[in-house]
Amino acid sequence: MRNVYTVAQVNAYIKNMFTQDFLLRSLVVKGELSNIKYHSSGHIYFTLKDNGGAISCVMFRSDASRMTFRMEEGQQVKISGTVDVYERDGKYQLYARKVELDGAGQLYEKFEQLKEKLAEQGMFSKDYKRAIPKYIKTLGVVTAPTGAAVRDIINISTRRNPYVQIILYPAIVQGDQAAASIVRGIETLSEMAVDVIIVGRGGGSIEDLWAFNEEVVAEAIFNCPIPIISAVGHETDTTIADYVADLRAPTPSAAAELAVFEYQRLLDDMADYEATLLHMMNRKLQGYYDCRDALKRQLQLISPESRIRDRKMKAAAYSEQLQNCMDRKMSTYRHRLELDIERMKRLSPLDKLNSGYSYVANGAGKNVKHIADTTVDDDLNIYVSDGVINARVVSVTKEEDN
Amino acid sequence: MPDKNMEEKMSIEEAFSQIEEKITELQKDDVSLEDSFKLYQEGMNLLKYADEAIDKVEKKVQKISTESGTLEDFE
Repeated sequence: MRNVYTVAQVNAYIKNMFTQDFLLRSLVVKGELSNIKYHSSGHIYFTLKDNGGAISCVMFRSDASRMTFRMEEGQQVKISGTVDVYERDGKYQLYARKVELDGAGQLYEKFEQLKEKLAEQGMFSKDYKRAIPKYIKTLGVVTAPTGAAVRDIINISTRRNPYVQIILYPAIVQGDQAAASIVRGIETLSEMAVDVIIVGRGGGSIEDLWAFNEEVVAEAIFNCPIPIISAVGHETDTTIADYVADLRAPTPSAAAELAVFEYQRLLDDMADYEATLLHMMNRKLQGYYDCRDALKRQLQLISPESRIRDRKMKAAAYSEQLQNCMDRKMSTYRHRLELDIERMKRLSPLDKLNSGYSYVANGAGKNVKHIADTTVDDDLNIYVSDGVINARVVSVTKEEDN
Repeated sequence: MPDKNMEEKMSIEEAFSQIEEKITELQKDDVSLEDSFKLYQEGMNLLKYADEAIDKVEKKVQKISTESGTLEDFE
């Protein structure tokens, strides 16, 4: 007769087997997260799966509170914990103590952690950003000596200004040695006292760009006394180096544009300045010339010559006035004379003779107005309109006064 | 004429900003003719300085040897 066991006995037996197993007591399992449930109790229930199968997982509140990220569907993770049996359901499950993001996921997490740490230290602060000098003579470049990034930087820099001296530090920009190589590059160029340093590389995956997310690189950039432009990957890739750098360029080409001034533009600017200076000076001078001319005119107005000329003109004017007055007077008198002549004419004795009167003169030639002016036998001349009559006085009779 | 020592240290940018100051000054109406000539001359000197400060020799890209630390022509 066989032994008959209860369910609980079986489950307890199995649980005991699990507990005694060295491997199951502490192991790391990798897989993809699914069915994540953040329970109100603080425990997290989820499933870890891969192509071959799935395992139920639980993370208790005490462990869950130490999580540095929030678990999400589809994340690749590595879970450290214990596989044990849940006797009530007769199920085994993975009791997770620690969940880490795997591969890229892990890098993202590290990135976020470092970013937060350095931000707290103030390494991204604007206060520490050095201004990029506008007119540089030497440009340091820390990047791989092969590939598009170095080409782009050299091409664009020399196109803008063929006279800029580029010094390249051929760095390893990918893999284990990359961070140390980039740090050495920054330090070497810093010692050479270049004007600006471009640190960067072309695009790639987060793993490829990882060196630019290393703390040592961030520190080297932060501590470098020379302004640094970061140029890592494409516009969408942002690395810690970009946050620490004095200026972030979206691409290596853009970094060259930001670092190197356009030579022709500088010449144009200088020509503009020269023209402006000259123009301002000429305007100023013109102002003074105008002022001088105005003063000259004023002076001329009060000069002795002009006064003399003034007086001459006044004299001429008076003389003309006098002349005019005189002429007017003359014509008035002439007119009056004519009237007088007319009047005289009317008073002339000849006129009287014409109207039948006559003029009588005695022998002595005197006008006879009274009887006393003549005597009997006196020869009289009687003037009439057309001649003279000789007559002799026969008698003289005095008229009685009334 | 600015001080010689100061000139040697001055960057092109600084020279430009000083030229702009001279121009602003020159634009003022109450600047005397004498000062105007002085400002103009100073501006022209700064321009000459900036022009001389610009490198006009074409450069070859240099590469630092990671072994010896010396410079060599790149490419």
